[in-house]
Amino acid sequence: MKQSIVRRILVVISLLLLLLVSVGGAIAQEPVTITWWTLASAESPEPAIRAVVEAFEAEHPNIKIDVTIMAESAYGDLMNTAIGAGEGAPDIAYFWEAPWLPHTLDITDHLEADPDLSRDDYFEEYFNNWAVWNDRVVGLPFTVGANFVMYNKDVFDEAGVDYPSADWTPWDYIEIAKALTDPDKRRWGGDRPRGPFRAVWRNIGATKPYSDDSTTVEGYINGEDSVAAYTWLWDLVDSGATPTPADIEVLGTEGTGPVDLFIAGRLGMATLNNGHMITAANAEVNFGIVPEPHVPGNERFVHAWALRASIWAGTEHPDEAYEFLSFWAGPEGQRINMEIGALMPSLPSVLEDYPDAEADYFQGFLGVLNATQTAEWRATHPCWRGAVIRAVSDAWDLIMLGEIERDEVQATLDGLVEPAQAALDECVPRLGG
Amino acid sequence: MTAQERRDAKTGYLALSPWMAGFLVFYAFPILATLYFSFTQWTLVDRPVWIGLDNYIRMFTRDPLFVSSLKATTLFVALSLPLKLVLGLMLALLLNLKMPGMNVFRTVFFIPAVISGVAVSLMWIWFLQPDTGVVNTLLSYVGVQGPYWFWDLHWALPSVAIMSIWKVGGAAIIYLAGLQNIPAHLYEAAEIDGASKWRRFWRITLPLLTPTLFFQLIIELIDAFKIFTEAFVITKGGPLKATYFFLYYFYEEAFRNFNMGYASALALFLLVVIMSCTVFVYRTSGRWVYYEN
Repeated sequence: MKQSIVRRILVVISLLLLLLVSVGGAIAQEPVTITWWTLASAESPEPAIRAVVEAFEAEHPNIKIDVTIMAESAYGDLMNTAIGAGEGAPDIAYFWEAPWLPHTLDITDHLEADPDLSRDDYFEEYFNNWAVWNDRVVGLPFTVGANFVMYNKDVFDEAGVDYPSADWTPWDYIEIAKALTDPDKRRWGGDRPRGPFRAVWRNIGATKPYSDDSTTVEGYINGEDSVAAYTWLWDLVDSGATPTPADIEVLGTEGTGPVDLFIAGRLGMATLNNGHMITAANAEVNFGIVPEPHVPGNERFVHAWALRASIWAGTEHPDEAYEFLSFWAGPEGQRINMEIGALMPSLPSVLEDYPDAEADYFQGFLGVLNATQTAEWRATHPCWRGAVIRAVSDAWDLIMLGEIERDEVQATLDGLVEPAQAALDECVPRLGG
Repeated sequence: MTAQERRDAKTGYLALSPWMAGFLVFYAFPILATLYFSFTQWTLVDRPVWIGLDNYIRMFTRDPLFVSSLKATTLFVALSLPLKLVLGLMLALLLNLKMPGMNVFRTVFFIPAVISGVAVSLMWIWFLQPDTGVVNTLLSYVGVQGPYWFWDLHWALPSVAIMSIWKVGGAAIIYLAGLQNIPAHLYEAAEIDGASKWRRFWRITLPLLTPTLFFQLIIELIDAFKIFTEAFVITKGGPLKATYFFLYYFYEEAFRNFNMGYASALALFLLVVIMSCTVFVYRTSGRWVYYEN
């Protein structure tokens, strides 16, 4: 009798266990949905985005990706609203604004535990500047972008000028630009930088517009090296070897550079980016690439950028979100975008398979990807872009307009210390420094 | 109140309710929220922090950009407003002529008023391009070296004002409606009395058009204070902040500098300025606006 009761109890327990396992299994198989907000572009067009989702879901049947492809004009507003509300933000998105960064998930542990991906897989400068913030890994760098000088070999040959080499100086740039300029052909030798404290500034030695601790402007914006850099700009504008801001505005491309003038042969040299590089290659322009000029003995900088692909800190599925992030911004996802779109991946092992990777100009482009980036400082000082640059833009405008003399550069910069300091003091408590 | 009056009132409120709901949700609430945010420091994505009057103190005591943007905007209003009012009226007088095919002209002149501001701005960049633009090319035919327009410190703001006449066709249509409301018998009587065309314009057309002029003045005044697109697309506030208009400053503070609290204070200040100007125009209208009835 007792044995029979024990047997029955065992059967009931076994059935219960079986039920639990099967229900548990069913729950475990319920797919998790990850929301993803993204943008379509020439580098990462919609078919590439859909292909990434399809490939990922095929590999991970337990994770579904709910992708929303947005217009760039709406993206910022929607992200601000969702992050500000504390709910409804996507699990995965580009987090490109400084105030969004505290709302990203720290993926340091996930990345360290990942057997298939590590920070060493990426270009070091891109990872350090676009994935790391306040010693936290806040995302993965998606794509690479950089500025460099493209020179039109036909224009150089016609003028009998030697091609520039990587060891050229900013003053060489002016001399070469003058030699290439031909008013009869409406041709300028080179273009002008598009803002202060970018690569040329740093290469001349003007390290930053204010102190690292974001407290002091005096001695930085009006320091010796900054004056040297602004004076170099004055010399360049005065040389008459560059197009005016009006020409660049009309013939440039969305404020990113006068690629049209360059392709038309009306500009011997231009500081452009890798998107322009492909445009020029497709237009069959005979061109080469060198890094922006620098002063021997100074560290060489490059103005470069990537998109920061991150996980929202409020995600309910951090593990699954990381699975997708590491796929999309890892080798598989970036390769899909490179093959379907025109993405230049931030992983050297994938970029080396780019269709034009063997071309001379592409090798020149690869040469700048490991240089120290201006973003190293800029990325951690949001007040430069947010407030201070506006306060100091008068010096830039005065030089561009030819409104000051060469010996007035120092005094002009001295005059900017007070408004720059005020802008910094107002901004740092808000955006950090 | 009788039962019928109560029923009428109920029907009236019912008919009014969709507009009221829209007003409360899309106007009253945002204005009140802006008022609240103007007393805070707020980056948009973090919680607003109450800072009392700090934003207003900064605005009125230690913000050079507030002063320069207000100055640029006031200058623009002073330049563009008379230009649009006078040219709009002149165009309306022309469009009021009885000529074959006039409806085509009316349509053609109205079209620019409905074209996107960004598209128009891009087009004007080309019009006023110093080297290859249409305007300077035409000027060169008569031996005049055109200025650098948007890229010249002294010409940038006038260029934006000149550009604003592009939309004058919209104003002309309103004037046209006013002109066509003027009774024809007044002109006939004046003509019989031997009044010249100029005298008829001064004594009949202009006085009877003053209600339209009054309406147009208020609309154009508000529109001029809200100048933004041209600065955003063409000049980026430059050169040397010559076109750094108030709304452009507001935009930069709110969406580039993530200073939504301060931007809210700026927005409210602009509201007060526009409202004050409107009230001033309204109060003085009794002296110059003539209503036939």
